[in-house]
Amino acid sequence: MNAPLILELLGLRYKLLWAKTRSRNGRIALFVTGYLLLVMLLAILGFGGFGAAVAAVRAGKALVIAQGVLTGLFFQAVLSTNILGFGMNNLFTESELRRYPLSAADRRLARHITALLDPFWFLFLALELGLALGMYGLGAAGFWSAVLAVLLLFGVNYLCARVVAAYIDRLMKRRGGPAILLSLVMLLSLLPGAVAPLLAKNRALGARVVEHLGFLPPFAAADAMLGSQGAAARGFLWLMAWAIVFAALLVRAERRPVERRVAASTRISWDSPFDRAGAFFGPALGPYVAHWLRFYARNPRTRTLMLLSLPLTAFLTYSTGHTLGPDGMFVAALGTASLATFFGTARIAVNQFGYSGGGFRRYLLLPGDPAGALRAASYASLTLGAAALPVLLLGWIALVPPFDPRRIVMLLASALTGLFLFNAAGVWVTLYNPRKGNYDSNFGNDLSLGGNLVVIGSVLCAMLLPRVLHHVAPAAVRPEAWWTLVPLPVLAAAVYRFSLAAAGKVFPARRERLLALVEGRD
Amino acid sequence: MDAIRLVNLTKKYGPVLAVENLSLAVPAGSMFGFLGPNGSGKSTTIGCMTGLLDPTAGEIELLGERFTAGHPGLKRRIGVMPENLGLFEPLYAHEFLAFIGRMFGLDEATARARVGELLEALELTDASKTLSEYSTGMRKRVAFAAAVIHSPEILFLDEPFESIDPAGVALMKQWLRRFTEQGRTVFITSHVLETVERLCTGAAIVTRPGKLVWQGDITTFPIHYDGKEFPALEPLFLHLTGERYADLKWL
Repeated sequence: MNAPLILELLGLRYKLLWAKTRSRNGRIALFVTGYLLLVMLLAILGFGGFGAAVAAVRAGKALVIAQGVLTGLFFQAVLSTNILGFGMNNLFTESELRRYPLSAADRRLARHITALLDPFWFLFLALELGLALGMYGLGAAGFWSAVLAVLLLFGVNYLCARVVAAYIDRLMKRRGGPAILLSLVMLLSLLPGAVAPLLAKNRALGARVVEHLGFLPPFAAADAMLGSQGAAARGFLWLMAWAIVFAALLVRAERRPVERRVAASTRISWDSPFDRAGAFFGPALGPYVAHWLRFYARNPRTRTLMLLSLPLTAFLTYSTGHTLGPDGMFVAALGTASLATFFGTARIAVNQFGYSGGGFRRYLLLPGDPAGALRAASYASLTLGAAALPVLLLGWIALVPPFDPRRIVMLLASALTGLFLFNAAGVWVTLYNPRKGNYDSNFGNDLSLGGNLVVIGSVLCAMLLPRVLHHVAPAAVRPEAWWTLVPLPVLAAAVYRFSLAAAGKVFPARRERLLALVEGRD
Repeated sequence: MDAIRLVNLTKKYGPVLAVENLSLAVPAGSMFGFLGPNGSGKSTTIGCMTGLLDPTAGEIELLGERFTAGHPGLKRRIGVMPENLGLFEPLYAHEFLAFIGRMFGLDEATARARVGELLEALELTDASKTLSEYSTGMRKRVAFAAAVIHSPEILFLDEPFESIDPAGVALMKQWLRRFTEQGRTVFITSHVLETVERLCTGAAIVTRPGKLVWQGDITTFPIHYDGKEFPALEPLFLHLTGERYADLKWL
């Protein structure tokens, strides 16, 4: 193993991170990230892991609570890395590392060590270490066994997240892959809902199932940390076995070339739905909008998220709606309806030029108003978002009887309001907080701070606002008050129009800065 | 008549001076080489002349009209092959070229016809690959096709011949010669001095930071400058920009 060179690369990783602070945006991002990390770390250590440990020991259920906490953390890490993309950014690609005198194994090690040294993974490690130290402090576990168990679990967790990501990536590149992924996600989403009532009715069954889960990494780590000598040894063995299995799967996935989708025809085809859709925007803007529709629709992640957005909306409506009382489904749907309109296009809508790379330069060379690119991109996002509306409303009518036209009006109003407001915010983030991103990446969160705030904030607003209204002013979300929602999309459309016009005026002055940012020179 | 006229063009990036008081005149119908070492402001100058960048000071005149970034009429009359090619990676070549053609005012039928002809001539007919899957040379050909699809009056080409195979280069040179024979103007930056020498009628040499040190006719050699005689462009270029020597004993 070429340890000195790998250490040099690790050093380079932090030099590159530090280099980002040379720009104003980089310094702001560093400050905010550092501050948030500090607060989260304190909170996690104080109330999370350590608190859980104290509660577990005091309740005399150390093993059960450790199993629960570690399982939660394990799956949370796998889901957050794969859905939100945190902690999955490889700083060095395989081709970049091939420049150096490193063996294949060294390159793999260097890539994964640099990826693992991500603040996101530190948070999980801190939480798990909090639990381990808490257990040790209260005399429930030995120091070394607790720390070693947590470190092993942490490594297994990273490898597991990587394996899931690698196989999803492969799946996405196969014909029909997004549909298979969608089915899997739906299955996994619906499974807890189906299993939970069964286990609640038969608690003995639940206990028997848990008894047989000792082989799973979080359960094995809990055993290794707190179990008797035999159980602890078994726990360590399971953890090591998982590490070997995941490492082997990861190596296999990385070694096998990904099957590329090959175009069915090698003949040029001029018949394009994008051009037909773009034609609605007139001869001047039509080609521009058609171009952006292609740009959105060819993005693998956008396609997957658009496919997922409607089932996700249905799932969220169902899962939150049934806790809100008799009319809860409708209250939940008032928020989730707008989610369906922007969830798929969100990543590009808040960073329109960030994925164009050198192509951004081309927009500025075209004749006509340079801000046309900004408007066309936003119209494309709006068009794709609006395309979800008929399916959404028909789905509601078909799945949630009885039919009430007032509710349809309210859902439509809410969805349109969300669509316009999200895209209005997207235009501003595109201009003032863009970030160079990788168009083809299926994973990783490459949005700027502003982009993340708008996307995550919009999702939270969509989920929470109707619930708040339901509690504070229940009359406002009843069908009788349908007319009160009608002005909202009109107002939102006005905000959108104003944003587009104002941003269009700012765009020419911002273009050089944007050019430097999206081409990665700042 | 001058197709391009720069008067005291200056461009600063913050405190960094990229182009300093550059004044230049390029006659219409000429093939003009714009030469200089790396970082001498060649691409910045082209950026200012094509609307990509705003000059800090000075004036730009193209085809007898004052040019600014917000001048769509003039932009329609120029074609640009930018430094990094400016391609949209997820598109197929025909989609990209048709889009550019439409944006430059060609009607749909004309745009499609020209795309077909250009792809055929430049051997880019494999429609199974997106631009991201093309080789560097193929990408360069697509960028060249995008620069000429609307039949512009001035063509700005930033390092046009690098990475293209000899047959492709020969075809492009033939097109460029015909282009100038029709009274149109070509403005080229290149580090391949032999190509510039063979192709261009005039040239300018700039040094860091975008400072003009020589401009003249390169149809006849030797060139007399500074009391010396230069048999080719390369010795003149090295004389003006400074030859570098480094004796690395370990190499």
